[in-house]
This record gives sequence, C-alpha cells and structure tokens, in this order.
Amino acid sequence: MTTADWAGELSAGADPDLVERVLRLAAAPWVHPERLRGAVEANLDRPCVRVEDVIAGLEAAGDARSRPLPRRAQVREVALALLRHGARMAIVGQPGYPRRLADAWPELGAPLWLFLRAPEARLPAAAAVAVVGTRHPTVDGAQTAVALGRLLARHGVTVVSGMARGIDQAAHRGALQAGGATVAVLGTGFGVDYPAGDETVREAVADAGGLVSELPPGCGPKPQHFIWRNRLISGLADVTVVVQGRVRSGALHTARLAAAQGREVMAVPGSVNDPASRAPLDLIRDGATPLTRLSDVLDIVGVVDAQRGGMQDGPATPGNTLTARLSADASDLLTLIGAVPAAPGALARAAQRPVTTILAAVAELETAGLVRTTPRGPVLA
Amino acid sequence: MAVVGLQAVAVTVEAHVAGGLPGFSVIGSWGLAAGQAADRVRTALATVGVAMPGRKVLISLAPADLPKAGARFDLAMAAAILLELGVVEQAALDGVALLGELALDGEVRPVPGVLPSAAALSATGVHRLAVADANAAEAALAGGPEVVPVRHLAELLAVLRKEQAPRPAPAGDNDVAAATVPAAGPDLADVRGQAEARRALEVAAAGGHHLLLLGPPGCGKSMLARRLPGILPPLTDDQALEVAGVRSVAGLLGDPVRLERRPPLCSPHHTMSAAALFGGGTGVARPGQLSLAHHGVLFLDELFEWPRGVIEALRQPLEDGVICVARSRATVTYPARVQLVCAANPCPCGGGDRCSCSDDAVWAYRSRLSGPLADRLDLAPAVEPLSAGDLLSAQAGESSAAVAARVASARAVARDRWGQAVTCNAVAPARLVRQSVRPAALRTLANAVEAGALTGRGYDRALRVARTCADLEGSQMVGTDHVLEAYAHRLGLRQQPTAAASAVGPAVAVAQW
Repeated sequence: MTTADWAGELSAGADPDLVERVLRLAAAPWVHPERLRGAVEANLDRPCVRVEDVIAGLEAAGDARSRPLPRRAQVREVALALLRHGARMAIVGQPGYPRRLADAWPELGAPLWLFLRAPEARLPAAAAVAVVGTRHPTVDGAQTAVALGRLLARHGVTVVSGMARGIDQAAHRGALQAGGATVAVLGTGFGVDYPAGDETVREAVADAGGLVSELPPGCGPKPQHFIWRNRLISGLADVTVVVQGRVRSGALHTARLAAAQGREVMAVPGSVNDPASRAPLDLIRDGATPLTRLSDVLDIVGVVDAQRGGMQDGPATPGNTLTARLSADASDLLTLIGAVPAAPGALARAAQRPVTTILAAVAELETAGLVRTTPRGPVLA
Repeated sequence: MAVVGLQAVAVTVEAHVAGGLPGFSVIGSWGLAAGQAADRVRTALATVGVAMPGRKVLISLAPADLPKAGARFDLAMAAAILLELGVVEQAALDGVALLGELALDGEVRPVPGVLPSAAALSATGVHRLAVADANAAEAALAGGPEVVPVRHLAELLAVLRKEQAPRPAPAGDNDVAAATVPAAGPDLADVRGQAEARRALEVAAAGGHHLLLLGPPGCGKSMLARRLPGILPPLTDDQALEVAGVRSVAGLLGDPVRLERRPPLCSPHHTMSAAALFGGGTGVARPGQLSLAHHGVLFLDELFEWPRGVIEALRQPLEDGVICVARSRATVTYPARVQLVCAANPCPCGGGDRCSCSDDAVWAYRSRLSGPLADRLDLAPAVEPLSAGDLLSAQAGESSAAVAARVASARAVARDRWGQAVTCNAVAPARLVRQSVRPAALRTLANAVEAGALTGRGYDRALRVARTCADLEGSQMVGTDHVLEAYAHRLGLRQQPTAAASAVGPAVAVAQW
C-alpha cells in the first residue's frame, strides 16, 4: 500500500501529503492537545491562523526535540492500524471534519485532526445535544439521562456523550433504544476496551452515530485524556445538558467549555441535599438554563416537540404488548414503582396489599425486564 | 466414661495395689492431670479410712488409646481401689458406672459432659450411674441407667456396701407438653411494621431456610433475629438431648431441671476467633458457638465485618450439618445443624435516609458477600428504618404465638410429605421438591436462570423456599406465585446488577442490539 493509497482511504479527498504530515504529528505522543493549543496560540497575532503554519510550527518543535516525530514507516503502521479498526481521519478544513467543531477552530479548542469511526465516515449533520454527567448517578439521574437520550433521538437530534459508565452511557442507551443517532467521544484511542467490557454499547454507538477520538490507536485511558476529551463533547454539540455531577465533576468542566465555545448550557435541577446534583445546581446559579421539563432542550435546539409531554415523557411507559401478559397484581404494582427505589414493605403499605403479593409481583416484573433491582429496591427499568 | 466430642465411650478403670516401691501411677493415655488425680484420690480415700501407706497403686484406664482428660475418673479410680482392697465386693460394682471428681475431703464434685455419657450408657448394659449431686438432674435427663447421686465418697461406700439405700435421683422433666407453654423470650408483637422482614422470618422458620437481614443500624435486625427461636417448633426429645449434650460438653449446662425445648440462639461477635466459632482448644477440641447453636439459630451480626476466611469456612458445615475439628490428641466431630441468620448494613455508609452512596458503591459493598455463601442463603429481606408513624402507632405486630402456630402447621405438612428422614424443606432433596412444583412455575424459574438472574444452586434453593411458601398457604402444589415470591426473597442477595438489569433500559430494548 503506497502512501497515496492509505492516505486516500484514511482521509478521502484530502491531499495525501497533508494527511501523512498530520498523522505523523498525531502519532507522536508528545503532540497532545495542550501542545497543539500552544502551536495555535503562537499564530494568533497573525491576521488568520493557517493550518499549514500550525503544522509547520509543530514539526519545527519536533525537530528541536531529542525524540523527534515518527518515521514514515511508523506513520504507515499507525495508518494501517486505524484502517483495521474501521477508523478514518478528519483534518480541519478538509472534507469530513465536523462542522460544529470547525466553528471552534482555531482558538476554541477544536483539534487539528480527529479520528472517527462512523457510518460513511461522517458524523450525523443534524442538531446535536451533549448529555453528560457523573459516572456514579443515582437511579433517578440515570433515568433522566435515558429519557433525554430517548426524547432527543426520537426528534432526530444527535446525542453526544463520552461513553463513560453512568450518565454518559445512559444517554447513549436512551438514544439507541429510540433508534436515533448518538456520538461518543472516547478518552482512549481506537482498539482499547474501555470502559472494559462495554464493547456492545461501543459497537452499537459506532453504528448509530459514531465514535470519535483524537488519540492514536491503542492509546490507553489516562486522567488527562478525559479532560481533553470534554472540549470535543461540548464542541460537537449545540447544547450541553448536565444531568448529575458532584463537586469538581468532569461534567462541570464540559459545561464551562461549552459556555466558552458559545454553546448553550442546560442543567437538570436536583435536590439541594443530593451531592450528585451539586454540579447542575452550581451551573444554574452561574446562569445555565434549568431543565424544568425534558422537552425544554428541544426548544433550545429549535425542534418542535411533537407530543409535548413534560416529565411524563421521562420513565418508559411500557408498551401494551408487554403489560398485556402481566398479572393484574403486577400491572397494578407497575404504577407504584417509580424511579426512586422502594422496599417491598413500603410498596405493600402504599398498595395496601399483602407483602407476599408484592414480592411475587416484583419478581414477575423483574423477570419480565420491566423492573430492575437496585441494592435499595426495585425501580422502573 | 470418656467423652470425645459428643461421643461418649465407656472406660474401664482397674486398680492394682501391691507391695513394692510406694507410688501411685495411672496408665492408659492419660492427660496432664494424672499426678493431681492420684493425690486427690489418695487423700479422699483417707477420709473414709482407707489409707495406703507404702503400697504401690497402679491404675489402668482402658481402652488405652482413647484420649482422656479432666478429673472425671476420680470417683471410678477410688471405687476400683476399694474393690482391689476388698472393701467392697465385686458384685456391688457390676454394671455400675461412676463419674465425678473428688475433693480432698472426699466430697464428690460435678464434671462436664455427664449428659452424653449417661445417654451412651443405656446401650452398654450399665444399669446404675453414680454422679455428684449437682450432675444428678442432668444424668437423669438422658433417661438411661438409674442415677445414684452421691454427695461424698463415704456415701458411695455405704451404698456399695448396702449399708444405705441409694437416694432417688431428681426426676427429669421430659414432658413435651410442659415445654410448649410459651417460653419466656422476646415476642414478635414488639416488632412494628417490617412486613417484608416478618414474612421472610416466618418463611425461614417454616422451612429452616437461611436468612440475611439487610438494614441500616438501629432498624431492628437483631430484634428480629432474636425472635426467630420463639417461632421455631420446640425441639424434639432427641434434638433436645443433642443440644443439652453439646452444652454439657462445653460445661454450660448448669443445673437443668428439665430439657430446654426452645431452640438455642448463639450470636457470636465478629471479632471472635475461628476456634471459638468452630470449636477448638488444646488436646481435644471443645465445641464452638456453631455447635452450641445446633438445632437452633446462629446469628452473625455485621456479616460483612467478619473475616472472609471465617465466613468461607462456614460453607462446609452448613452443607454437612457437622463440623470436624482436629487437634493434637483427637479429631472431634460436633453437630452443627444450624439455621443461619445474618445481618448486614445495606451499604458502606450504613444506609438510612441520609445515605448518599452511589449504586456502584453499594454494589461494591455487596460483593463482600461471596457468591458461594450467597448461594447458601435463601432470603434477604430489607429491614426498613422505622418511620415515626410506625413508632407512634399503637398497633402491635402479630404475636410470636400466632406466627408459631402457622409455622408449626406448615412444618407438619412438610413432615407428612417428606417423612421422618427430612426435618424441613431446607434439607429436602431437590429432586423431590421439583416433583411438587407446577410445570409453569418451574419454567418461570428456569427462565430466570437462563437470563443469568439465578445460579443453578440458587434455582434449587428458591424452589425449596417456594415449597415452604406453598406449605404456609396449605397448597399441595407449588404455583407460580410461590416461586415468584421465593425469587423476590433472593433479590437482596444480588452482588451486582444482572446482565439484563445492568443495561439502563428494559431487557426488550437491550435485545435489539
């Protein structure tokens, strides 16, 4: 495979020479986003920042270092590895580079290059909303993220998030359930199983929207990767919604980046007593738009909500085909079980039924997949 | 009688008194107390006028390879010497067993382990058993040989020489009816609310299932556990004897006027050593808390604070109903058929309303319960923190007597079905249990196994619990509702969200991709 071959496949429509030069930078471990920002800032006093100048600046920095940029053979290996993982490279200013990110070039954190794995090598062009939050959500938080993902996807809005366990994955899953588009920005390179064991979701997202990473293939997770990643999440979306997060949460960082990039920031208000709602509440105090009903987000992105249902749109209302097979007790109980877990004893009091009936109904709903067990009791799945 | 574990073996004591170098030696696998026994016996004999100056005394304990310990053979040694010296006749000692320690003034003192010894004697052709006054009631409980209480060596001598009629032993009160009057103990009526936990406790009592109570501190987990013996059926004659036997060997029986019919409850603390829990000690192991809870309830509070190794070691005795403890002089098997009741906080912070632990943190905490142990537990109800309303409500819970009546009738149904060999549903063979389950109910549970929500072992255990639920209701066959209830009782034993549950979304949606 000649350079022109793999460069053409990796980044169709771009100059093979440029592709090779950029990939050479991308493959060098020391050319990380902060260094890239430095190279951009060095050019800011010029009338316009040219991609060529930034690349040249980085190459010059590489020549001055003891560990220079990779050789051509190594660059070729990286290119072949990317192709093996089904990934393509998008360079700013070239075809395939996401429009919204291009708006953030050069000084608002958009990267010079991007690896992406998406249907037809392009991220969805429709309106996009980032749904972000803690890795340790409460059940209610996860439910909200799923419901948001579902609602957005149903209205043709792309759901962007970071593939982390918790709120991120809940949002992806909501979008997947509704059969919509969702994009994940990874904190690792392609070909790394992270979060470990979640390959199914990753593959599903790759098919339903796309996976994005700016790290070379095989690059493992490091704390700073996730900080760097945040500017891509906010940059790929028109609106960033923070569902839950604790003090000094990564979601807070994403929201601040979004604000800096001139994007809308929304936050899901929670209880002041709930540590998991600290970040969204702080954001609201600082001027973020509170999400008082799920459909608020549709107003902001300018999509008309077909059936304005407010929060009722939240937890899944199981289809009739499913409930038809349930016993009467189980159907009754389904109306009592909410997003906040309750012990069978409490449910029995609320339903004024014997606890044995409740236990049997909980088990029935659980085995039917309508209710799931948390350590604190059953909640709606 | 030597006692190794609960196994009592008759020991024949022979004495030989002859001229020669003066001395007193004991042969036959004799422990450290040998020299001390010699001095006690010699001095005590002197008080009844039998002095042995300048004679060589040789005592032999047979069988010689059996480990023997303690002062229990003092009385028998004295009698053997009296026989050898011709003070009493051979006929007077035929078929007579003696158990007791001698004081220097000739008084007879009680020894531990009299009950299992007396019980074992019935089979050996011994018709009379001489024991200290304080042991007489205990020995009589066994219903074995005629018990002859002796207060002093002189009294023994008088009885053996027929100069005095033996005093009657205190009558053992073996009447079951007397024991079914509500024994003084905590009552379930004190427990307000807790519908789920009460139900689980009832099912556990009716089927002999193991229980894990999950709840924040102060919500009443120990309170519930301590009320379990009160709703369990009273011990049968054999069970009561076994329980008293273990206590006797442990030296804890005291002076019983009647056999205790209430199942025992042991609640060891989690700092307890493995030896104290499983049995141990030098030479020959003594029974631990596990065996003291035989036929009763072993309550492990703060389950997650127990050392992992100790909890894992519980698995084997829970399966086998016995615990085998090896020590230098003997390997002893003690009975350990216990009903396990564990209690634990539901999450790392203790739980309750102010809990802010994330689900992940709680799952991580729950995984301290090892899978294999979780597979051996059956019910894990949530014990809820009491609401102010519950505390103020004047309405007391159902009383222990009412619950015990239902438990008793469920147990009776089970006994009729299984016969004598199977004491409760928890130990019923899985094959037999399945025969009385409706096919639809079996399928429901099999689906759960297929979905990864239940292990194979959990499947059989859930079926047994379902069998108990059906028995409580008086149903011949186990229906879907019973199986579902049993399944729900196991939900608290989960250590991680199952494959289906971990996807935030209904299983149907997950199946799409």
